[in-house]
Amino acid sequence: MAALAALLATPMAHAVPSFARQTGMTCEACHTVYPELNHFGRMFKANGYTLDNLKQVRGITAKKDEMLSLADLPPLSAMIQVSYTQLAKPLPDGTGAPGHSQSGTVDFPQQFSIFYAGKIAPHVGAFLQITYGNDSGTIGIDNTDIRYANNFIFENDKSLVYGLTINNNPTVQDLWNSTPAFGFPYAGTNAGVSPIAGTQIDGTLAQDVAGISAYAMWNEQLYAELGVYRSAKQGAVNPVSGAAGPLDGTTSNVLRSSAPYFRLAYEYNWGRNSLEVGTYGATFKLYPGGGTTTAPALLSGPFNEFRDVAEDFQYQFIADEHVFSLTGTRIHENMNLDASYAAGASANSRDTLTTTRVNANYYYQRKYGGTLAHFATTGSIDNVLYPAPVAPGVVTSANGSPETTGWVGELNYVPWLNMKLSLQYTHFGKFNGASTNYDGFNRNASANDTTYLLFWLVY
Amino acid sequence: MSQRHLSILLGLAASVLLVSAHADDLDAATRAAARKVAIGTCENCHGPEGHSILPKYPVLAGQHANYLAAQMHAFKAQTRGDPDALGYMWGMAATLDDDLITGLADYYSRQKPEAGKLVGGPALAHGKDLYLNGDPANGIPACATCHGPGAEGSDAFPRLAGQHSQYLIKQLKSFQSNLRNVAVMHGVAQGMKSEEMEAVALYLQSLGPKA
Ligand code: HEC
Ligand code: HEC
Repeated sequence: MAALAALLATPMAHAVPSFARQTGMTCEACHTVYPELNHFGRMFKANGYTLDNLKQVRGITAKKDEMLSLADLPPLSAMIQVSYTQLAKPLPDGTGAPGHSQSGTVDFPQQFSIFYAGKIAPHVGAFLQITYGNDSGTIGIDNTDIRYANNFIFENDKSLVYGLTINNNPTVQDLWNSTPAFGFPYAGTNAGVSPIAGTQIDGTLAQDVAGISAYAMWNEQLYAELGVYRSAKQGAVNPVSGAAGPLDGTTSNVLRSSAPYFRLAYEYNWGRNSLEVGTYGATFKLYPGGGTTTAPALLSGPFNEFRDVAEDFQYQFIADEHVFSLTGTRIHENMNLDASYAAGASANSRDTLTTTRVNANYYYQRKYGGTLAHFATTGSIDNVLYPAPVAPGVVTSANGSPETTGWVGELNYVPWLNMKLSLQYTHFGKFNGASTNYDGFNRNASANDTTYLLFWLVY
Repeated sequence: MSQRHLSILLGLAASVLLVSAHADDLDAATRAAARKVAIGTCENCHGPEGHSILPKYPVLAGQHANYLAAQMHAFKAQTRGDPDALGYMWGMAATLDDDLITGLADYYSRQKPEAGKLVGGPALAHGKDLYLNGDPANGIPACATCHGPGAEGSDAFPRLAGQHSQYLIKQLKSFQSNLRNVAVMHGVAQGMKSEEMEAVALYLQSLGPKA
């Protein structure tokens, strides 16, 4: 089921010291506090991560054409996240027998990543991440964004930065922190309980698709991007040939042809302030798939269509002592579930889902900070898409509503610019449709409240 | 003669000896390359035509070419060591070659300077007095002697008119602590109190091209 894929998506977002090594600049040149970008950081990204102030290893032809320009050192970084999660109420034991699981989880590491982040060749740069996650127990590709960028200067001294990005998570290429891939929470527990519903563009398809888009930014103000995504599943083999792909009906949520993606944003800077307003969206046609040899599914014919359209804004105030930012987004999804409906996997053929998030962040001296965030997902009632009670509950919805609302409060201490200690508390007012007995097994929304302690190092 | 005055004089002599780069000698290719770097890269922080928006970044528009070039060389040689020089400009200047530095200095010196924000109320009058007359009793020389009556500067003496006050205060403090190690300005800033720095900075920020 499409919505269930959301369960697998852990929010992940990063900033890396290899950029600092490459540019010779401190982190705050590009970030308020990592991973949130400031104006220069956004332009650095738009310019393809290519600004490089290192000595170069060069190769030229007899005609002095450049054939190679490599930094002395590859722009590599490492990151480790160690965390502890405490659920307000333990989960029922997985054996099905009465009993409780442990309510505290140590993730050591929650995540370990290696990055190649920086210039590859003149005008070409990459942000490439390989991650070991304790939840998957394996190493896999994480957020990746490979770019070509160049700029054009008009007669009137205005600039046009343009480029191409190839990436594997819609919005990972975006420049603002109001969009999903690099939005708050920058890190979250993978040991909590995730709500049943999430829109496709909100991380659901992360690392499951690959796309290419063309973008342009005029005068450091107006940004436009258009692109397409295709399925690019990880760890999927064709069951007949035993080799990677082509995808068949045993795989679920395979994109039918390509999914168009768009982004439009306007940024205005005055004094210490920066304001962005924008819109982004994509339309994903997905074959439900997920069949077996006894119940084959087709990667042709009926499909579901998810139309995601979102608005976002970001306000930043950046002074030496105080840094404040307010970001928000509202993603609206129209689902046409013809395929699922015909297969009995949804109660309606049309559903909607809306996710809203607003985050306020403050840092004092880029050392002590905090975030207060509100999130809300609401949508159509669908007793099949959002499954009715099956023991032992927890991830079910008694009333078939995806409504999940709550708050996140986070306190941060950044002793060094590349080290962060966070204490995050998430409270759910409603979970999968209700505040009390939401799962039909007497679990309340607040039972999923989590306390999450994270130690985050990037080097 | 006090040691401070001596160092000021020595500094003056040194500044006069600085060779001036003749912008007219620049060839078209250097000019074009500098313009592309200025608008494509430097502008991301220093603002359009060097009219910086965020006060962290100094205004470069209308600054004198020799001063600009000297600073870029100082960043590159890592001799200008105040925190933001180190954090931002050491990296930025590391790969600028001499031609590009001359070109960039020329580009920014040709942009039209503007007045900055007028804020500060009563401090402005105090600032103006300090700027024009100094405070001889406390060993603060008149800034105008070197930076010009309208703070327009000349050659190796930077223009201060219209510069962000936050940046000016930051520099005065760095001269005082010698993080930005310039004997002349260390002598000037040594005896200045925070309120005096603020007053003079607010006054300077408010000044337009010909005050
Ligand atoms: C990432 C932001 C950033 C970029 C990009 C940048 N600068 Fe700077 N620049 C700064 C900051 C911050 C300072 C102030 C340093 C200080 O406080 O000492 C500065 C200072 C300067 C100064 C000294 C001005 C003065 O009045 O003393 C010059 C000259 C300068 N930059 C030139 C350039 C040039 C030329 C470029 C493009 C090649 C450039 N900068 C790109 C951030 C930047
Ligand atoms: C004896 C000459 C002299 C006097 C008097 C003087 N200055 Fe300066 N000032 C200089 C020189 C020379 C520089 C350039 C230093 C360098 O090359 O780094 C400078 C630089 C500065 C800068 C840094 C500008 C920039 O863009 O980074 C500030 C701010 C400044 N002066 C403020 C003042 C103030 C305020 C006063 C009066 C209280 C004053 N100066 C008096 C010679 C002088």
